[in-house]
Amino acid sequence: MGFSSGTKAVLTTLKEAVDNSLDACEDAGILPNISIEINKIGPGTMKNMDTIQVKVIDNGPGIAPDDIIRVYGEYLASSKFGRGRCSRGQQGIGISAATTWGQLTSAKGVNVISKTLKMKKAISGTIEVDIKKNQGNFKNKETIQWDRPHGTSVEFFFDGRLQLQGEGGVLTYLKGTSLVNPHLELKYKINEDEEVFFERLSTEKIKIPEAVPPHPHTLKLGEFLAHAHLFGQSTVATFLKRGFSRISDNTIKLLEKSGMPKGIANRSLPKTSDSDLKKVYSAIQKTELLAPNTRSVLSIGEAALAKSIERLGEIDFFSVVSRKPRICDAKPVVVEVAIARFVSNKGDNDDPVTVLRFANRVPLQFDKASCAIAKAIESVNWKAYGLQQPKRSLPLGPYIIAVSVVSPFIKFKNASKETIDSSDELVEELRLTLMQAGQRLSRYIKKEQRAADLERKLQHIEQFGPILIQCLGRITSAPKARLEKANIGLTKLLGRDTDAAESKLQDAVDKHQKLQERIKIRRGAKD
Amino acid sequence: MATSRKSTSIKIGNNRDIPKLSKALCERMLADLEKARRPMLEATKCSLDNAVYNPKVGFLTPGDKKVRSELNVSSVQKLSRAIFFLEILLRNLETGAVNNKRELYYIAKGECKHNKDLKPLDFADQSESDSVVDFITEMLECYREELNVFANDRGGQTYSKNLIVTEHMADNEKAVVDLGSLGTSPFQPKNKPQSFTLKAKKGKLDFCLVVESEGTANTLVSNGFTKRNNCILMGAQGVPSNAVRSWAKTIQDQLKIPIYFFGDLDAYTIQNIYRTLKAGSAASLIRNADFSAPEVRFLGVLPEDIKKYDLADYVVNPKDAAEFRSLKKAQDALKNDPFFKDKKNKGVTHVLNWLIKNKRRCEQQAFFMVDPKDPLMPEKIIIDKIKRGEFL
Repeated sequence: MGFSSGTKAVLTTLKEAVDNSLDACEDAGILPNISIEINKIGPGTMKNMDTIQVKVIDNGPGIAPDDIIRVYGEYLASSKFGRGRCSRGQQGIGISAATTWGQLTSAKGVNVISKTLKMKKAISGTIEVDIKKNQGNFKNKETIQWDRPHGTSVEFFFDGRLQLQGEGGVLTYLKGTSLVNPHLELKYKINEDEEVFFERLSTEKIKIPEAVPPHPHTLKLGEFLAHAHLFGQSTVATFLKRGFSRISDNTIKLLEKSGMPKGIANRSLPKTSDSDLKKVYSAIQKTELLAPNTRSVLSIGEAALAKSIERLGEIDFFSVVSRKPRICDAKPVVVEVAIARFVSNKGDNDDPVTVLRFANRVPLQFDKASCAIAKAIESVNWKAYGLQQPKRSLPLGPYIIAVSVVSPFIKFKNASKETIDSSDELVEELRLTLMQAGQRLSRYIKKEQRAADLERKLQHIEQFGPILIQCLGRITSAPKARLEKANIGLTKLLGRDTDAAESKLQDAVDKHQKLQERIKIRRGAKD
Repeated sequence: MATSRKSTSIKIGNNRDIPKLSKALCERMLADLEKARRPMLEATKCSLDNAVYNPKVGFLTPGDKKVRSELNVSSVQKLSRAIFFLEILLRNLETGAVNNKRELYYIAKGECKHNKDLKPLDFADQSESDSVVDFITEMLECYREELNVFANDRGGQTYSKNLIVTEHMADNEKAVVDLGSLGTSPFQPKNKPQSFTLKAKKGKLDFCLVVESEGTANTLVSNGFTKRNNCILMGAQGVPSNAVRSWAKTIQDQLKIPIYFFGDLDAYTIQNIYRTLKAGSAASLIRNADFSAPEVRFLGVLPEDIKKYDLADYVVNPKDAAEFRSLKKAQDALKNDPFFKDKKNKGVTHVLNWLIKNKRRCEQQAFFMVDPKDPLMPEKIIIDKIKRGEFL
């Protein structure tokens, strides 16, 4: 999972460490400062691999000494699965897997330094995973003085390949992360390159909405049974009411009408057979329930996106759309889209646009083709918004299209969580958001087209007017005075056309300015 | 675009003086510009939606629709190029020089190269300069040949043992060609205006046969078709060029003999080749009077020939883009082409309907399978069909 190639190994290790830092900061209400160092330090132990060092330091709440072993040395230690929160990590597997990969390829565990506010000194050491027992070993444990009140530092050494640019590139990941986390202050240094610093753009702390129990229509039968077995001592009715959202006493009466055996509601859950639970599940599927609450979904917001999009490079215009939470496949979802055009590669009109995909604010960098986001982008008619687009493909040009999907229950196609499952409802919601962003984008493009049109018309008059008059003069043998008069007449005539073009351009400029002002007002309100 | 103001339009008439008409057109444009008025050019719309078919006339003629081009900031480039090109063509007319479109493209490029003021006019490829030449012919409503622009010669190779062609040259010289004395060589009309007088060497010719395939025409002649039959045999070489169309009309008008067309049984042949030869085309509405032979009859292959002679035919493959397009065009023709809508041509319309319904096609060479050992069998069938009146 995430370590099937050298490139993926680097990216997965980095992602897991950064995700943990961001989740920890947000849980503790801290504005995150993260510092990253990545170095290629020599040949790896495996063929065609290098030894890579990845170090991530944060200002998070720190980890209590007793928890450090569990976080980095045990699988599923901090599982948040099914919690119904929009957190980045879900299963508590990733960072332990990174430790394991380091151990397997370079025989080194993860070096950890951590300090909570309550601790006088920081704790330092190396964690290794004992895979057979699923438990960690803390080696070289010692207390040290550290220059910060709280935080965590992790350092991995492992076999990998360092790719910077492109879809699986480290820089693409860092830029993507900085885009969807405007509250993040990020420093990174890669090999001998100069350190890069992204200033914090928003001092607003991220409020993670409270967790909600899953909506019963979102679970498959197996998941429903597993949920029941793990729920503990209670009645079936209590399990349904507390273990799920949108189930009340009235709903249970409706379930009985839909085929749930009478009396089963008051039975003890552990004593209820799987066949009876299947009947309950089947009744739930037949019963119409209220849609899930959308308050559990987090959004980045148009104002924040408008600020952070400038972190991606020098852009000459952009459009951002943040839709209200919607229900797709019985799950609350927020879709947000940012489109921008880079100044530096404005001439690159033949290459497909750069697509940045995010799920719960984590960049997705592999297996783009079958992802719901890519499918939705390809299904939009971008020509209508002034972009070139081959049939059923990504549009072309020096644009970046960043699409973020946030939901407490994102359904991925595979275990490596790189591809969002493309259900019809989700693709349609993505399409609508993309189209809205496309409409805003087209205003910018129209302004440009009008300006180019005026320029072309002025050039035409300058270039072709004199030729036309001269040719007419030679054919008719007209005297110079007639040609001069005709020239004045032609200028007057074509001047009327350019006046009309100028007026259209002014109209487009006015509309564009109004849009800019609206964005400024929104930004100001957030600041 | 269109106003009530009088437009600059020149009607086709006999003995037109193209330089004079061109100068008048330019004079009018210049006068409009002096008054800061937009010059407007008008031409007959040459497309099917402006085609009229009168069975008494026999060919497609233009309706009332006009195409108008007004000078504005968007059309100033097109008009500058047109007047620039007109100047080159007038120079050719004055000196008697002739060119084809490819040569004109390079002449125009050369002018732009050697005169920096003309650089903005430069042509990126030949299609750009070709469209300017076409625009000028539409504007002046003349043939491109009248501007000394000639296409390559194609089709019209003619064989006969009893035909004498007298060509009247521009310098009043006469060239007399006895087709019977040319041996295996054909006589071929040029793709430019020629003045001919035709007569039979002895008595009166019986008929003229126009064969779609140049190769099949050659085979028939090699096997002695013109020795045994008192006729003219001409190869069309696909869609008839202006030379073939005008030559067929000359044979029709001067010799007053029946003309039969022998080609494939498919929608493309009937719609694009036979209809063009008989009634002209929509693109050349203003020229069809000189470039069509309304008396031409369709000899075959006819649908009934397939059964009668047990000919091999083929299913039209709807997945083949060209064949599918051809059928689609045939359906459109039945709906929109006045030639096929007129009851005078109900025979070919019936065949077109048969082709669309049955989606089959049969090639002219299929007559060679009737008796594979007899090379003269196709000739025998053709003569038999003429004698029995089995044509449309």
